[in-house]
Amino acid sequence: MKVGDELPEVSGESNLVASVMYAAASGDYNPLHYDKSFAEHVSPTKDIIAHGMMSMGLASRALTGWAGGCEKVASIDVRLTKPWPIGTKSTFGGTVTAVDDEVVTVELWGRNENGDTILKGLGVVRR
Amino acid sequence: MALNLDKVGHVYPAYRYEVAREKIREYARALGETDPRYFSDGDDCVAPPTFAATVTVIHGGHAALEDPELGAHPVLVHGSQRFEYGDRPLKPGDVLECTPSIESIIHKGANEFLTIAVDCRFAHSGDLAVLAKETIVFLGSAPREEAA
Repeated sequence: MKVGDELPEVSGESNLVASVMYAAASGDYNPLHYDKSFAEHVSPTKDIIAHGMMSMGLASRALTGWAGGCEKVASIDVRLTKPWPIGTKSTFGGTVTAVDDEVVTVELWGRNENGDTILKGLGVVRR
Repeated sequence: MALNLDKVGHVYPAYRYEVAREKIREYARALGETDPRYFSDGDDCVAPPTFAATVTVIHGGHAALEDPELGAHPVLVHGSQRFEYGDRPLKPGDVLECTPSIESIIHKGANEFLTIAVDCRFAHSGDLAVLAKETIVFLGSAPREEAA
């Protein structure tokens, strides 16, 4: 592991099935993520958007897979910078920015197919 | 209506969360996870790091969002999320004691940023399992003078 190393990318599609599966798995039944008539009123895009935590989960999958398992992960911190619109694909990855004696710091990113950066964050993994 | 700034620092009653094997599988499947330990029937079963969302985001968030004195409203998005982990991943049968509190309320333009901390400890030892900090952005409800 050295500064500049890139994580293998992980991608996902947002659609109603993915939203409903994530809602059930996480217990987050906010209708913003599957009900079009609700989303029209409260969504920043006026349409259904994926759970922000689905983005974080996929960024974490990239980090954890690269690090060699969930016990390596010390912390994950992300900002959900833009909504992930329903019916689109997003890709997640990261770059190693620091290697210390005990931990490695990774800058995480998530990009939607529309060009938006939807997630920015930092992951810290144990060596 | 703006959020009630007097609630900053408020600690809500702790809740218990028991980690279940099928819940780990359901969560891992929803994210397309491939580590076989997440789906294992054996003692090696562990939870993905962001399974902590299932433990904290809704359970912990609801303590605050359903507090009538806080004044939350449904026009919101999840702005940011942090998880700091203890010495080992969660596994089936773990019982967690989780304490939500309101860490901060910040105004930025017309929006309000509410940060809820949820401190989750293994009930049998008191050791840290995960510390979650979720920031929820309430759109358009900051006080007018600060939004100007």
